[in-house]
Amino acid sequence: MQPVREESSSIHHHPRNSSIPSGDNSVWADVSPLLSAACSDLHEGELIHGDNFNLFAAMSALEIMDPKMDSGIVSAFSSIDEAIESGFAPVPISSNSTVNVESIIDIMDHLLVCEATWHMGHSLAQTVFSCIYVLRPERTSSQALLHSYCRVIRATCRAVVSVVSDARTNEEDDLFTMTYGLPFNGDEDAKGLPLLNAVEETICRQLRACKATSSKKRVLEELEPLQTNPQLEESFCKALLCRIRFRKHFLHTLNCMRRPQGRGLELARKHIASCISELDSFLESAEFLRIDVVENGENEIEEKTTASGRHPIGFDPTLNKRLSAPTPPRAIKLLSWKKAIDYYVKLLHNLDQICAFSMEPDLDYVLQSVIQFQKSRPDLVSRAHLQLLLVQDGKLYGRDTFLAICARAVALDATRDHALQKNEYILQLGQLMTNLLKILCANTPWQRRKLGKILNDWSIFRVQMGITVGQAMQQDTSRTPKNGDKSLVILNHIYGWLEEQINWVALRFLMLGFDLELYSPSEYCMVYWYIYITLWKLAERARFRVLIIVNTEERKAKKNKDYHRDMAREDRISLCVLLLQCQTSLAQGLTVMLSALRNQGMCIKSEGPFNTENEKFTQHFELLQKASLPEYDAYESYTESTSHTRLDYLPMYEYFRDAQKIAKDIKVGFANDPGKLAEVRGLEQVAEHNIIAVNLISRDCSLKVSFEFNHHPYFATAVVRRS
Amino acid sequence: MEQDAERSTSTTTIVESTPEGPGLDPIARVRKLLFRQMLVGIKDGRFFLGNFHCIDKQGNIILQDTVEYRSIRRSSPSPTEQRCLGMILIPSSCRTSCHVDCSIEEQLSLVQLKE
Repeated sequence: MQPVREESSSIHHHPRNSSIPSGDNSVWADVSPLLSAACSDLHEGELIHGDNFNLFAAMSALEIMDPKMDSGIVSAFSSIDEAIESGFAPVPISSNSTVNVESIIDIMDHLLVCEATWHMGHSLAQTVFSCIYVLRPERTSSQALLHSYCRVIRATCRAVVSVVSDARTNEEDDLFTMTYGLPFNGDEDAKGLPLLNAVEETICRQLRACKATSSKKRVLEELEPLQTNPQLEESFCKALLCRIRFRKHFLHTLNCMRRPQGRGLELARKHIASCISELDSFLESAEFLRIDVVENGENEIEEKTTASGRHPIGFDPTLNKRLSAPTPPRAIKLLSWKKAIDYYVKLLHNLDQICAFSMEPDLDYVLQSVIQFQKSRPDLVSRAHLQLLLVQDGKLYGRDTFLAICARAVALDATRDHALQKNEYILQLGQLMTNLLKILCANTPWQRRKLGKILNDWSIFRVQMGITVGQAMQQDTSRTPKNGDKSLVILNHIYGWLEEQINWVALRFLMLGFDLELYSPSEYCMVYWYIYITLWKLAERARFRVLIIVNTEERKAKKNKDYHRDMAREDRISLCVLLLQCQTSLAQGLTVMLSALRNQGMCIKSEGPFNTENEKFTQHFELLQKASLPEYDAYESYTESTSHTRLDYLPMYEYFRDAQKIAKDIKVGFANDPGKLAEVRGLEQVAEHNIIAVNLISRDCSLKVSFEFNHHPYFATAVVRRS
Repeated sequence: MEQDAERSTSTTTIVESTPEGPGLDPIARVRKLLFRQMLVGIKDGRFFLGNFHCIDKQGNIILQDTVEYRSIRRSSPSPTEQRCLGMILIPSSCRTSCHVDCSIEEQLSLVQLKE
């Protein structure tokens, strides 16, 4: 008991404020001495706790004052108001007009960096809203330039948040749309753009005034210059103008792209082009802005967040840290100013790609374009825009129903069939298509996971539809043998087309595994086998569809002499079938080559110490097998078809030669499509190199074989070396 | 009158005994504080109000259903901002004060015992 008594004298802290109430009729009693007495009596590792204590649950307690867990640590300022009162973000920034302009340019540059960092996945609170001038724009209302710029920044953030949250692609990056506790005032911020236009106008006049000769100057004398140093006036005006114009065009771009049914895309492209040219002017202005800093001998300009290399005034990322709850505080590293510009260039190119979509109601075209778009790994903002363009009100581009699109894929016109629109299967098909397009706009890992999962939905849907359509067809033929119900014909063709579509999804799922580097070289054999059977099915169904289309079009042309056959489209689809056949041959060739190498011990087997080949097979393809792709026992078929291949027979198989031949033939057809042409060239090269490799290894078993993806992202090229 | 006076100072010290008798050791007395509202102040000026859940030999405290109070200005320490945090662990190294919500009668008896 003695030590307790001694410690009781050291008590001096108590709740300094009556605003934390104790219970009714109760008071706060200091227990610090009692606690320390109890602690010294406790044994090492002993705890005082109640019956409901659970060590596991207790591990998840938030540790106070741990910088990685406690977002509330009071740092430089306790609040925004305190920061403002301490003169952290003065208005005006300086009484010296030159310093004032310089500082505003620094703020603009740093805000650009913050915005890019936000797009890359950090919270808005810790990036753009770390700026006190953005948090409290009403303070700067007397400073038109800074005020309007900050308002436009806020309006832009709002537009981006709205796109991303409407597209709901943000499940992957949940931080992105969190705006809890941030001041978003739509009406006030909307006034920013006209104000910024007025500011731009003034600076334009100031620029003209300083360029004008002395005789003209008299006329313009009334106009006050931007700042006091006449030698710097022109460069400052230019530096400001490109920054203002970029903001203006960027906000216009976002707004145009949101117009329904893609009506603003053409205009958006013009704004995008302006944005990109203003970004070039940014870099030009950097030369002038960093003169001071270079004189001071600072070399680390590449890492800086402003063109001048100075630290901007009025930013404190800790101010809003608590708003990022419930997530733990994250350490954030802002991009450099140069990297931020690179980011915007890429973003704008991606947005431009979306605006260039031809809006054709052609499903093959849409799917190909989305995949082409995804190749450059676009970021969340552009992917959200693409998704909103593709799916609006449950229709493609908000214009064409998925029934019409799918019927068009089999050369049928379903636009006049109103009863069919309400068909249960058609409604469900619309849902599946919407879902598929949205998933295709997601990021790669998310996309692959979701594609695997929806395969099952698609195949169940196909089975159910098959039963219903089959029964209806039987009844129909028994009643009217000649002229069947037109709706039923459409349903039947769509049912046939479903299998092609399902295999298309499965193929995309398999291919994305290469993008995500999920396959190890020892597993390539099974992967190519699976790709081969999927491609084979896909090519078969696609060929069948071409026959239907040609047949239908021919009949239409016979009936009606004026009927305009879309030969270009027919050719395009047939070419795609040939491309699929080329890929099928390559996949088959690779499977045979890899299995022969494995069977004769020239490649490591896929059996590791932890799981068998069968287990690995299941891990990779479980989702496909669940969706009955293929309908037979895949593993059994795989082992059977690959267990007897031998190296000395390899040259007898003509798979790579077939692929090479088809590739040569179809190159001409893709002359107008540079993306596809490049792919076909890649396939041709893979085939060529593999033919040589096969010849070498069939003669000499001591060679070392490895696989590279230098000609095509998904089809490997064998590289042969002397050991 | 006496009660009001106690309430305004809002602080007493539980030092030695509880009404249960002077024989109870500190560990048993701390155990009696479990599940009661505890107010912990820390170095950077924040206060945490939550249910006392656990304490270890080093004096680290776990509170449940905690609310954080912080002052908006350093100059006038009035905790006006608050937010809910759930379960937190307060390391003993950053703890500067610790109070328990107790009835006036209990507190009065404590005072009497102390004297």
